[in-house]
Amino acid sequence: MKQGILLMAVALLGFGTTSAQEMNAVLMKTFAAFDSTRELEPKLAKANKLELIAKKWKDEWAPHYYNAYAKAQMSFMMGQTADDMSKRDAVLDEADAELQEAVSLLGEETSEIYVLKAMLAQARMAVDGRNRWMEYGKKFEENLKLAKEKDENNPRIYYMKGTGTFFTPKAFGGGAKNALPYFEKAKPMFEAEKKGDMNDPFWGSEANEYFISMANKQLNGEDEETETADEEIEESSDEG
Amino acid sequence: MIRSVSLRLFLLSSLFLVSIVSVNAQTTISGRVINTAGEPVAGANVYLLNTIDGGTSDSSGAFKFETEETGVQTIVAEEIDHRDAGMPITINGDITDIEIKMNRGPIRMKNVTVTAGSFEASGSEATILNPLDIVTTAGAQADVVRAIQTLPGTQQQGNQTGLFVRGGDASETAVIIDGLVAQNAFLSTAPGVAARSRFGPFQFKGVSFSSGGYSARYGQALSSVLDLNSQDQPDESTINMGVNMAGVYASGSKLFNKTSIEGSASYNNLSPFYGLANTNFDFYDIPEGGSASTKFTYKPNENGIFKAFVNYQQFSNGTRLPNPEDNTQTLDFGLKNRNVYGALSYKQTWKAKWGMYVAGMYSYNQDDITFNTTPVVNKDDRAQMRLEGKYYAGSKFNVLLGTEIQQFSYERAFGAFNTNFKETQLAGYVEAEYIPINWLALKPGVRYEYSQVIGQSAIAPRFAAAIRSGLHGQFSVASGMFYQLADPLYYTLGYRPEFQQSIHYIANYQYVNNDRTLRLETYYKDYQQLVREKLNGTFDPNSFRVPVGTVDNSGYGYAQGFEVFWRDKKSIKWGDYWVSYSYIDTRRLYKNYIDEAQPDFIATHNLNIVGKYYVSKWHTQFNATYSYASGRPYYDPANADFMGDRAPDFHNLSMTVNYLKSFGKWFSVIYAGVDNVTNNKNIFGYRFANGVRTPIVPAIYRSVFVGVNFSLTAFDVDEL
Repeated sequence: MKQGILLMAVALLGFGTTSAQEMNAVLMKTFAAFDSTRELEPKLAKANKLELIAKKWKDEWAPHYYNAYAKAQMSFMMGQTADDMSKRDAVLDEADAELQEAVSLLGEETSEIYVLKAMLAQARMAVDGRNRWMEYGKKFEENLKLAKEKDENNPRIYYMKGTGTFFTPKAFGGGAKNALPYFEKAKPMFEAEKKGDMNDPFWGSEANEYFISMANKQLNGEDEETETADEEIEESSDEG
Repeated sequence: MIRSVSLRLFLLSSLFLVSIVSVNAQTTISGRVINTAGEPVAGANVYLLNTIDGGTSDSSGAFKFETEETGVQTIVAEEIDHRDAGMPITINGDITDIEIKMNRGPIRMKNVTVTAGSFEASGSEATILNPLDIVTTAGAQADVVRAIQTLPGTQQQGNQTGLFVRGGDASETAVIIDGLVAQNAFLSTAPGVAARSRFGPFQFKGVSFSSGGYSARYGQALSSVLDLNSQDQPDESTINMGVNMAGVYASGSKLFNKTSIEGSASYNNLSPFYGLANTNFDFYDIPEGGSASTKFTYKPNENGIFKAFVNYQQFSNGTRLPNPEDNTQTLDFGLKNRNVYGALSYKQTWKAKWGMYVAGMYSYNQDDITFNTTPVVNKDDRAQMRLEGKYYAGSKFNVLLGTEIQQFSYERAFGAFNTNFKETQLAGYVEAEYIPINWLALKPGVRYEYSQVIGQSAIAPRFAAAIRSGLHGQFSVASGMFYQLADPLYYTLGYRPEFQQSIHYIANYQYVNNDRTLRLETYYKDYQQLVREKLNGTFDPNSFRVPVGTVDNSGYGYAQGFEVFWRDKKSIKWGDYWVSYSYIDTRRLYKNYIDEAQPDFIATHNLNIVGKYYVSKWHTQFNATYSYASGRPYYDPANADFMGDRAPDFHNLSMTVNYLKSFGKWFSVIYAGVDNVTNNKNIFGYRFANGVRTPIVPAIYRSVFVGVNFSLTAFDVDEL
């Protein structure tokens, strides 16, 4: 029996490290595939895969973190009918639970956790912007502020702030022109990041580039600018 | 337990197998996910338990994935609208045509809440109006109370101050701020000139208007409670300033780590406003005044907040009013008002299980009036405290226990004639909220009240319940007994009428779906023990009248009616509108009435249509409100039928335009509004003197208001 336990322990130890490497590889590949997919159906398939990864490596914080991220992103792609809205909230309830799980495994609330909390607030707001902007707009800002307190060199803070500004109507201090400085501030920080360890999140640089080019395009074609920004917030089809 | 251990062992061994036998044959698993009705389930996550091998079902429910697993496995399907489904499969080669059946999950229903008699307006969702709606309602002129007047259950007002709810006069509505009574909620004014409330629209995070059947937390209001909750800590440091046709103002807030400080000041002068309008009364002394306030907040922890607030306000004006006794003469009404108000409150919750609220407030108000040449001084003050504890046994049950003490006094000096009284009131209450099943909510409560000036106590039971009738609809009922002292005027003169009493019965249906709200409400209200002056058959409609003769509680009355509210934020892109209609049948015998009658402040039909439309290209919002009320009763001494005549119908169309523009970090709103666009000559009744009939009209028919507001939030240059 004793020998058996020892054997188990050795096996588990080995299992632990190989498993962590394997987790990182599988997670990186799946997450990259998820983040670069734009079509609803294949994107959902990737999100479902991330869910399986979070179930399999349930004692690691990172898979839960990315699973929460994926759920938030999926919610942005869902519709605006009453049924869709309640479904979006249900998806975001799961995302909240997954992020909570990540926090308890990690044992602390890092800058990255707060950024994701801000994203979840943004996703809640997008479900019913008119009725929720006051409550969740505030949560969005609060979490970004906390994220900045923890690590002010986290580019995702400014990227998120940029997206929030970009989709706010120009008359309320939003729009491409006001959003661009945030994306530009994030850019060198993204470039300085090491990309390879999923425990040290590095997502967002491609999307940041996309928003920089979008914002510049709008600012050069001044005429369409306001319409586009305002229309897009109304559709709530936020890229996050 | 046994299952999970064996699964874990199985997982381990399978991993060893994977690593030892590095290459295994891939097999393909495919099939279809359907629901119990045989319809395809799209988007389901189908996978082998404890592996990451899986696929997602398409719109026809079909799924397909590859795996290296073999032997006995469990295939699982998950989808957000359905319960998880699973079944064992044995893999020894490709598998096709697996059919997984999923049961529909429980319908995601929000918890039921009691809505009978109450309209909530706050920042959180599922409310009917939010603070921004109030500011953008045309005709409301950014006054909370005037915006509330577009909701069902209220009367249109043009020449009187206050909220007249379901047959009640303005004194029957209590205005509450953070649980404490606002004794001088409205600006002092000359008789026959409507005054706005003292509050700014952004002072409050939530407004809850009850048109009846309100909570046991409150008493001393026969009809209604307007419950205002002040803002907590500001979100960020800001500077705000503006100028309009009524004056200039500026405010600022600074947010520190756990504390915040806010301050504001204003100077008001209505010369530009009255200069542009044709007034029906001569304002021989244009209203002029100023105010200053400061607020401090401290958050000792995540779930506690301490607030302190002080406000001082003063103004003066002079109005030449028609003399009710003599149609050939006028009366000069000069008014100087000073008002100070201070409040402290502390709210704390512990572990979402215990809550505590303690608050105190003091207010003082003085009106120095020159009535023709006679000096009149009205003084009143109020000190009060509230202490509350709340216990939450989970999310399904909570109980609230509280007590209130209030002391107030009124003094009225008319020339050398001085009258006054002082009152102390005690109250205790308990109220529970219980949700036994997720479609049923019960809210019973009881309140005890004691009045020292009349040495009387009363017990007022309250009850409300709601039943959810589906995903979007619910029925609510509310009932209760309500007590209130008579008008302070009687007590200052030495009369001691007992508590007046009303009983409310309210039933309501509410349907909310997809940004559309329908509310239907019906009620019956029984008034007893109303104050009454015994005057031997003569009625004096004069609002300056001083009661003489015997006063008792032999008055009575009733009110009944139905109300409809419809709001649609969905059908018109960038548009929003609501319609409210109230029908009321009410009669009462009270004060100096000589017979039971429909009071002169009640119109049988009230209708409001409020519309808002935002043109995003122009950054401009257009708002319009149309209000209608059928003719109100008036007293004609020649008519044997008391209050048997009706004034003409009331019509008012208001329009406002708001233009939003940011200049760098400054965000500005430029606004312009016209009240009574058509310049309709509304008449609220007639008065009779020397056998001549004179119409009672508002101070202004058509008016124009223009202003601009600037605010700066991101003035922290280091913010980027």
